[in-house]
Amino acid sequence: MAGIPAVGKGRGHGTMVQIVNGLVYGSFLYVLAVGLVLIFGLRRVTNFAHGSFFMLGAYVSYAAAAHLGFWTGMVVSVAVLALLGVLLDRFVFRPLAGEEPIVSLLVTFGLLFVLEDAVRTIWGKDFISVAAPEALAGSVTMFGSQFPVYRLFVIAVAVVVALALALWLRSTRVGLYVRASSVDPVTTGMQGVDTDRLSALVVAIGTGLAGLSGTIAGPLMALSPSMGAYIIIDCFIVVVTGGLTSFAGAFVAALVIGQFHNLGLVYVPEIASVIPLLIMGAVLGLRPQGLAGQGR
Amino acid sequence: MSGVVSPRGSAVPAPAVAPAARVPRFLAAAALAAAAGFAVPLVVSSQLALTLMTQAVIYAILAISIGFLIRQNGLTSFGHAAFFGMAAYLLALNGKFGAISAELVVLAAVALPAVLAFLVGLVIVRLPALSFSMLTLAGAQSLHELMLRWRELANGDDGMPVRLPSTLFGVDIDVFQSPSSMFVVCWVALVGVVALLTLLAGSHFGVLTVAIRENEERARYVGYRTVVPRALVFALSGAIGGLAGVLFALYNGFVTPGALHWSLSGEGLIMAVIGGTHTIWGPALGAVIFFIVKNAAGDLTEHWPAIIGTTLIVVTVLVPQGISGLVARFTARAAAGKP
Repeated sequence: MAGIPAVGKGRGHGTMVQIVNGLVYGSFLYVLAVGLVLIFGLRRVTNFAHGSFFMLGAYVSYAAAAHLGFWTGMVVSVAVLALLGVLLDRFVFRPLAGEEPIVSLLVTFGLLFVLEDAVRTIWGKDFISVAAPEALAGSVTMFGSQFPVYRLFVIAVAVVVALALALWLRSTRVGLYVRASSVDPVTTGMQGVDTDRLSALVVAIGTGLAGLSGTIAGPLMALSPSMGAYIIIDCFIVVVTGGLTSFAGAFVAALVIGQFHNLGLVYVPEIASVIPLLIMGAVLGLRPQGLAGQGR
Repeated sequence: MSGVVSPRGSAVPAPAVAPAARVPRFLAAAALAAAAGFAVPLVVSSQLALTLMTQAVIYAILAISIGFLIRQNGLTSFGHAAFFGMAAYLLALNGKFGAISAELVVLAAVALPAVLAFLVGLVIVRLPALSFSMLTLAGAQSLHELMLRWRELANGDDGMPVRLPSTLFGVDIDVFQSPSSMFVVCWVALVGVVALLTLLAGSHFGVLTVAIRENEERARYVGYRTVVPRALVFALSGAIGGLAGVLFALYNGFVTPGALHWSLSGEGLIMAVIGGTHTIWGPALGAVIFFIVKNAAGDLTEHWPAIIGTTLIVVTVLVPQGISGLVARFTARAAAGKP
């Protein structure tokens, strides 16, 4: 099965180490989920194939890394997935913009079938494990046990993504448009912002982030065609719990859900997969609009 | 054009409340349709064909449960395999642990999805339709993971047999496992479901839920509570999905996590989309077409997922109202006497 994203399997590790592991998983979830938040903000639709894009990103970087090394593999994966995002926007989201959102959902859901079949055909359905790049292969001593440097790198990636997004959204004109559109797309359009022109860029960034998270997932979990369907559980739950359009909401939701899911995997592995659902149920029961979502 | 605009943007005639006088005639027609099922095994002798037809009818019931939710609530479930698989696993688990009688567990396997859907529905039908769709997929997949990982409970990926007593509701168990008799059982269940849902769609409740689908805020202003009716539709849809799962488990005698997998939810959904959710019976038609195509695909079935995905995309874009929508439009035009 799509490898458990965790991490310290033995309970021998201290609780502190497990909490850091939860932070690693939460960080990774944020990088994946924030791509959907971006797309939803502008297009008011979601990409049901986001998990498959993530999976494809993992395989593309794995294939590229075999010849070009991990770092070039990462660049190739992000570039290929961003290009796919441009195509997705041009040939799915834009022509269907006048339709009900469900039409785009169904089309991207169809893509999910196609992409999983394609990856299965090209790379087979066996698990493939990917080694961390040499520069990050070691481990450090933390709270009295060995901790892989690569996992700290995952946290760093999430921090960089969060900061870069915040900077981009707050200090550039395009960022302003994106923020405005995620609050109220109609009014933003009336003010003269051409969302069609923005959206190729924004969707490309969203899917590029799927490529990035697929790449960093490689050494964390085993590659398999079903990894996308596995990860989409937590990814969707994070996006909805965070409030659909909120970057901060997604960030908090990713860290909380990542944390509890990881603890669940360590202490109650059989039922860990329903823990994110329970957290989400509690949040949405109290706040139907999500952690940071706008009211009706 | 009279009629309300459906969530898919095509005009749907406003459902008329069926006059009481038409109900008996409708029930007679349903009984006739159910009776017709008994003739099928007499005409069709090929076991292979009967097996395929039985499967198609079971999936038709699943597809109808998905279509009914779209029709009445405007909500699209990408995770109905959860109800299907939950019911099937309930039968299998009861066979393993032997907690209650087989008759009771069959009833529970329909009731549990309904109760669960109702409770979950109270929370998630209030969300935007998009969030609802995302969460149905996520919820169903997490159940899939649960059954996959909890090996002591459900034997993981290898699945588990459905152990049944020699009789069920006083009927010999072979009746449920041989294609010629099981086809009739499933057919009668299908006709019953279509009849029930058709009556319900024409009732006050059916009209109310369509009104809420069209404009929830306005329905609230008129004085209706809107969350409970929507959760009830979800519950009924879950129960019917559970019924399909029960029939599946009885017939197959074996359950794997595949019964909870997103691709099964997707197959049910594509049947509903192909058949069209304009009518109650549309998704059943979609299921029949689905099985005919799957059978005809032959060697191509290795790439069946890609075929399904492509078909879903093409149908969604080109024939959004589905085949039953095309038929309805055609007959409406013919009835109006226009060319």
